[in-house]
Amino acid sequence: MTNDNVVKVALIGNPNTGKTSLFNQLTGLKQKVGNYPGITVEKKQGFCKLNESVKAEITDLPGTYSINPTSLDETLVLDTLLNEEGDAFPDVIVVVVDIENIKRNLLLFTQLKDLKIPTILVINMIDQMNRKGIHINVQKLEKQLNTKIVLASARKKIGIGDLKEAILDYKNIDITPVGDISIKIDKEYFSKLKEAFPEFPLYKSWLLITQKKEFDFITEDEKKLVLKFRENLECIKRYQHKETIFRYQIINDVLKDTFNVDKSKATDLRGVLDRVLTHKIFGYVIFALILLFIFQGIFNWATYPMDLIDTAFANLSSWTKSVMPPGTFTNLIAEGVIPGIGGVIIFIPQIAILFTFISILEETGYMSRVVFLMDKIMRKFGMSGKSVIPLISGTACAIPAIMASRNIGSWKERLITILVVPFTTCSARLPVYAILIALIIPDKRIFGFLNLQGLTMMAMYLLGFTAAISSSILLHNVLKIKSKSLFVIEMPNYKLPSIKNILYEVVEKTKAFIFGAGKIILALSIVLWFLASNGSSSFKNAEEIVTNKVENSELHPQELQKKIASYKLENSYIGYMGKTIEPVIKPMGYDWKIGIALISSFAAREVFVGALATIYNVDSDGENTGTIKERMAAEINPDTGEKRFNFPTGMSLLIFYAFAMQCVGTLAIVKRETNSWKWPMLQLFGMGILAYVSAVIVFNIFS
Amino acid sequence: MQDILVYIALGLAIGFLVKKYFFKSTKDDNCGPGCGSCKN
Repeated sequence: MTNDNVVKVALIGNPNTGKTSLFNQLTGLKQKVGNYPGITVEKKQGFCKLNESVKAEITDLPGTYSINPTSLDETLVLDTLLNEEGDAFPDVIVVVVDIENIKRNLLLFTQLKDLKIPTILVINMIDQMNRKGIHINVQKLEKQLNTKIVLASARKKIGIGDLKEAILDYKNIDITPVGDISIKIDKEYFSKLKEAFPEFPLYKSWLLITQKKEFDFITEDEKKLVLKFRENLECIKRYQHKETIFRYQIINDVLKDTFNVDKSKATDLRGVLDRVLTHKIFGYVIFALILLFIFQGIFNWATYPMDLIDTAFANLSSWTKSVMPPGTFTNLIAEGVIPGIGGVIIFIPQIAILFTFISILEETGYMSRVVFLMDKIMRKFGMSGKSVIPLISGTACAIPAIMASRNIGSWKERLITILVVPFTTCSARLPVYAILIALIIPDKRIFGFLNLQGLTMMAMYLLGFTAAISSSILLHNVLKIKSKSLFVIEMPNYKLPSIKNILYEVVEKTKAFIFGAGKIILALSIVLWFLASNGSSSFKNAEEIVTNKVENSELHPQELQKKIASYKLENSYIGYMGKTIEPVIKPMGYDWKIGIALISSFAAREVFVGALATIYNVDSDGENTGTIKERMAAEINPDTGEKRFNFPTGMSLLIFYAFAMQCVGTLAIVKRETNSWKWPMLQLFGMGILAYVSAVIVFNIFS
Repeated sequence: MQDILVYIALGLAIGFLVKKYFFKSTKDDNCGPGCGSCKN
């Protein structure tokens, strides 16, 4: 203090903590606004009368999240606090924190405390305490943080007098740091630092080293020493990471005993919403209703654009045949490539709708409540609340979902999550379910508003979750791995979703689906078309053989063409392959054509529809291509004379796809995450056997 | 001529599938082969 009658105060805090409101309350109209020397950052100073003879000169420093600056105005905070000879060097620091974000805000406080300047902690916005259900043990917190704490509300003018008293009494504030960072980071390194700069507080020396700038207020010898310590940049970066982790550990430990949020006592809108949305009964009911709404939406709103796309591709196929010169390449484009690609594009509306809903739930903050809600249930099944994130992410794709399980601390819980995530209905299953449901479930409404197809889709998603949860119970009891974990989740504030963010998310996910799956489907369509359009001598002489066979019966020329096309397909390379596996898949109610689609979709499930579209197109008489749905609906089982995709076969296929591990990518990622082939093989065979047995049972029940 | 185009297309398709499933991808590790919904 340059003058005993003036106390220099630096007001510091994270942005949006109410620091400027507090500054205005303290200084009133006694403010002066200028610029910091040489730069255009605004410098706000003001005076405040502490008692009859002493006043405070308060500098409102720019808001910053940590003392390590990332911008010009944040650099000012550091310069002001490190330069003891500077005009603005404070006698006392007042750190302002927001009661709702105290954990994040305390990081800056612990850094400032290490500079050994008297520091007062102002916990602002305490008028929100009761509404938010927050309780603070101030005395205990003061003891643990070695500081003076003032509870205030700048907007409601609460605590201003207490703060003035605390500033007046600043000489009695304990300047001991909250924790000793040197022990946790590298004791030897910090001992050398202490020896090099004996005059400085240890943390000040550390800050001189870690900043990339030159400080004018240190001597030339000190500058040389700083450069010497800065030589190993990698090491410094690592130590900085360690420092942040250590500080948050301290903050967590301190707040565990002193800061408590009881949501059941909260009376603000967020509190009320949290109570309802995470309620042990209403929480689940609301979640189920939201899911119901989403799946109704998928079927109700996506139908029209899907029909449009399907018809457009059928027309494109016919048009291509009519304008291109006849030949094998034209056939490849019209019968192989276009139907195959159409089989991917058609699902854009459904996928876009699904991701729009998921993005809205994430954006509004509701998804975190679902995670919290599910934690209690998940624990019973051997997983953690954190497992909900991979399980929900799994509705997009199992691969990123499995990687999202990395934040589960317990190995056993993580392994179980990895093993059961592929049961979740991923977006690759959506096209398969959509087409099968449209074929076997009537487009009827229950109670006048619930679409039966939408309900079936929801049931398939629930079946996936049920399979995941049931398997986790089994694995929890079978796996003999001992581990413990703690579930902590920070609930974000509710907010209106940003349309820009949602659009970005939906476009990115849909694009990834189309370009990721599209390339594989295009390549497989070409291969499948080739295998279906070529064969041995029977294939080549199909026309002659069929004509000889039916020469005595009076067949319409179009029917004859159909018989030839069928005979060709049966005797094509793909026909031979399909017939070979037919005995294995027949108990599930499938013929060899479905078998081929089943094998093709082992690489990626969504290939199923494209593969069937290609096979049935080759099988057609060449005149009437039709939409994918029409071709599948028209397929007849020659043994029974019934539709191939009837209720028993359709249900059997739905069940098979719900349980089978048909994704090479997922197997590869499980191998990488578990570092063993044992677990992906367990998934492949375990899920495969379950899918096969279930499909056989379902087919026989409904037959 | 059309037959040649078909064989070229077939060669490219098989080449792509073999590269995709039998050779390790140098792309982002966050994504595996055959995944339709993640960024390949």
